[in-house]
Amino acid sequence: MAHEVNLHSLQESERETILQVLYRDREIQNVEEERIRKLKTHLQHLRWRGRKNVSQEYKEKSCARCQRALGFLLNRGAVCQGCSHRVCAECRVFLRSARAWKCTVCFEDRNVKIKTGEWFFEERAKKFPAGGKHETAGAKLLQSYQKLSKISVVPPTPPPLSESQCSGSPSRLQELGQFKGFNKSVENLFLSVTTHMKKLSKSQNDMSSDKQQPATGPRQSAGQTERRSQSDTAINVATRKVSTPDLLKPLAQESPKRTTSPVLKQEDRLSSPAPTPLFSGGWRHGSLISINSTCTEMGNFDNTHVTGEIEFAIRYCFRAHSLEICIQACKNLAYGEEKKKKCNPYVKTYLLPDRSSQGKRKTGVQKNTVEPTFQETLKYQVEPAQLGTRQLQVSVWHLGTLARRAFLGEVIVPLATWDFEDSATQSFRWYPLRAKEKCEDSVPPSNGELAVRAKLVLPTEPRKPPEAQGGTGDQPSQNGQLCLVVLGAKNLPVRPDGTLNSFVKGCLTLPDQQRLRLKSPVLKKQACPQWKHSFVFKGVTPSQLRQSSLELTVWDQATFGVSDRLLGGARLGSKDEPAAGADACPQSKLQWQKVLSSPNLWTDLTLTLH
Amino acid sequence: MASATDSRYGQKESSDQNFDYMFKILIIGNSSVGKTSFLFRYADDSFTPAFVSTVGIDFKVKTIYRNDKRIKLQIWDTAGQERYRTITTAYYRGAMGFILMYDITNEESFNAVQDWSTQIKTYSWDNAQVLLVGNKCDMEDERVVSSERGRQLADHLGFEFFEASAKDNINVKQTFERLVDVICEKMSESLDTADPAVTGAKQGPQLTDQQAPPHQDCAC
Ligand SMILES: Nc1nc2c(ncn2[C@@H]2O[C@H](COP(=O)(O)OP(=O)(O)OP(=O)(O)O)[C@@H](O)[C@H]2O)c(=O)[nH]1
Ligand SMILES: [Mg+2]
Repeated sequence: MAHEVNLHSLQESERETILQVLYRDREIQNVEEERIRKLKTHLQHLRWRGRKNVSQEYKEKSCARCQRALGFLLNRGAVCQGCSHRVCAECRVFLRSARAWKCTVCFEDRNVKIKTGEWFFEERAKKFPAGGKHETAGAKLLQSYQKLSKISVVPPTPPPLSESQCSGSPSRLQELGQFKGFNKSVENLFLSVTTHMKKLSKSQNDMSSDKQQPATGPRQSAGQTERRSQSDTAINVATRKVSTPDLLKPLAQESPKRTTSPVLKQEDRLSSPAPTPLFSGGWRHGSLISINSTCTEMGNFDNTHVTGEIEFAIRYCFRAHSLEICIQACKNLAYGEEKKKKCNPYVKTYLLPDRSSQGKRKTGVQKNTVEPTFQETLKYQVEPAQLGTRQLQVSVWHLGTLARRAFLGEVIVPLATWDFEDSATQSFRWYPLRAKEKCEDSVPPSNGELAVRAKLVLPTEPRKPPEAQGGTGDQPSQNGQLCLVVLGAKNLPVRPDGTLNSFVKGCLTLPDQQRLRLKSPVLKKQACPQWKHSFVFKGVTPSQLRQSSLELTVWDQATFGVSDRLLGGARLGSKDEPAAGADACPQSKLQWQKVLSSPNLWTDLTLTLH
Repeated sequence: MASATDSRYGQKESSDQNFDYMFKILIIGNSSVGKTSFLFRYADDSFTPAFVSTVGIDFKVKTIYRNDKRIKLQIWDTAGQERYRTITTAYYRGAMGFILMYDITNEESFNAVQDWSTQIKTYSWDNAQVLLVGNKCDMEDERVVSSERGRQLADHLGFEFFEASAKDNINVKQTFERLVDVICEKMSESLDTADPAVTGAKQGPQLTDQQAPPHQDCAC
């Protein structure tokens, strides 16, 4: 609701009591958000699979879900009420409560809505369309606290088991005694808040009597306070040491690593390959726009200012041909969400120029810290000869709610000059984190270049000199053809063994959305393939072409029936979507115009693949 | 519905994600009617005669097994005292269901039920599920609100009704389980009325919106 809770009307001890509850709630919310993110990712995967199938086999009648062909008389399939796709009998799930059914994806959608509580948020939004859909009272209250005390309300790390316990009120002491682990974080919270408040006003004696209850009982807990010093809050360790020496002692033995909930880490691992299926080749002929927009590397992240350093070691095992990047720790990171002082960092690596999902490695996500310790090793299989052509990109990211990411900085290590035989280079080192190169922010990274030669062939008719084509438009009768020779490509993201089985697809999308597709033969075992293959798109007019777009994509053929891997693509021609502007660089735009305006002449183009 | 067996999944594992979904429940009512006691009885199976009025809000988490599903309940216990009202009402919005409690030995707490119900209407979603609970039914000698009056008021307000005792553990578990069931019913209703095949009711746009519009995929 709109009303702001007036915390001033409460006594200080009351405010503290409530704050504990808020923190406990926040921990639960964090776990919940993580769970929900995972569920949504899963659903997304299902959808993508469905989509691929639909576009692939649309012409033949087939099940939108499993892609099996549907018959005309038998096994005709039926239309799902949820998504209006035709699905076979096997891809229907009957609801328990009713005789109705839904297709597998719609059923999963329903499931996810139940599991995430989305059904409730949707219902609620009918009554309160304004307020944030997922906003909780606790989160708002915490904000009020923040305003009140001007302290940065950084939640303590979730203790492994805490939420089943209830804080209770101070004099329910007997019960509290039974709650063995009575909320470690609360304790910590008490420390932080009381210390802070102490600074502000009260005498120490008053406070310690206030917080007597969490301080009594078996005290093997602590552990969480370390976190405070990591998270840059206003409270410094020294102050705490004075007031609560007994609680602080066990901290020294605690490695910060332990404070991270293992449950959460596991979750992150499971859900991290979210965008992968798209890249591993599910999109046989999706448009480039959609491919780009799903890439986390390009769109979906916030930029923060970059601070801090990262410590890692690089090793190469010549026998196993394995490159190991041992990610140790980061320090002094920027907050992923500056306002909320939130940071859940993880580290991602690529062996540039390969930015495909196959080349991506990630660590687990550390929660609520700007000084994460990872101690994880990311491995690549690379031929020794390949090493010199690669650059190791190590980037640090913040994982926010609903998979929102923020870039925290990166390091690029060219491996060409790296001495892998020297043991000195194998030790851990700190590297300062850097911001992304300017151009990289707006322009998607390059995945190599494609050389093509293009010509618009028009039947030569005396009454119409070629120059006039551009201005006057053309008669419907005047059919031409677009000839394209795909010469070759270089700097492609090659396989670990340094080769590719590559081929090129061309797709010309006409103004009426009709698509003409052509494909080159596969060139095996080459890093810089020279196909010299020609594509001819027949029956197109210049005016049509001016409103058409041509997509050229380079693929690595799958070895054992796995999907082909998209290496990169480029788009030429119209489509005024802003997204297309990014991949059609001005230069290739000019070249394309030249092709269209000078019929019957060859034009050479070099296209950057994204 | 299927026979309920909770406690097979204790509360211990509640910090993990070993559950199917989470419901948020709010307990409201005048101060001292026994809200906190009711929750302690349910979550910890404990009771204390001492009265410690709740400060602001509090909650407990309990995972139960019901209708083949593990449901994690986050049960919010609100302070009945007027001075915390702004804080407690802020939590109405997040609650899927309510336990509205009065004390059968306290006329005033019963008279306040109407007001509490108005608060729910104001601050909560439209389908909020409410169970009216007359607590302290162990104190038959001091009863001032008859069961009949309780039931009538519940009928009038459209709530289900239980008399219960946190002290003697009467109808505590039943209250929560019934509330979970009615929330489940609302949930199915909310999801499946969007399906014309089931009810013929208005086609909610939700389902189709979730899908990528089909024409996007098959422009070829
Ligand atoms: N005999 C009897 N006493 C009860 C019962 N439930 C609660 N009480 C007593 O009633 C008093 C108030 O109980 P609480 O649960 O603290 O009341 P509350 O509704 O939480 O009050 P606020 O937190 O101020 O809103 C305590 O002394 C309890 O022991 C019951 O079922 N029977
Ligand atoms: Mg209470």
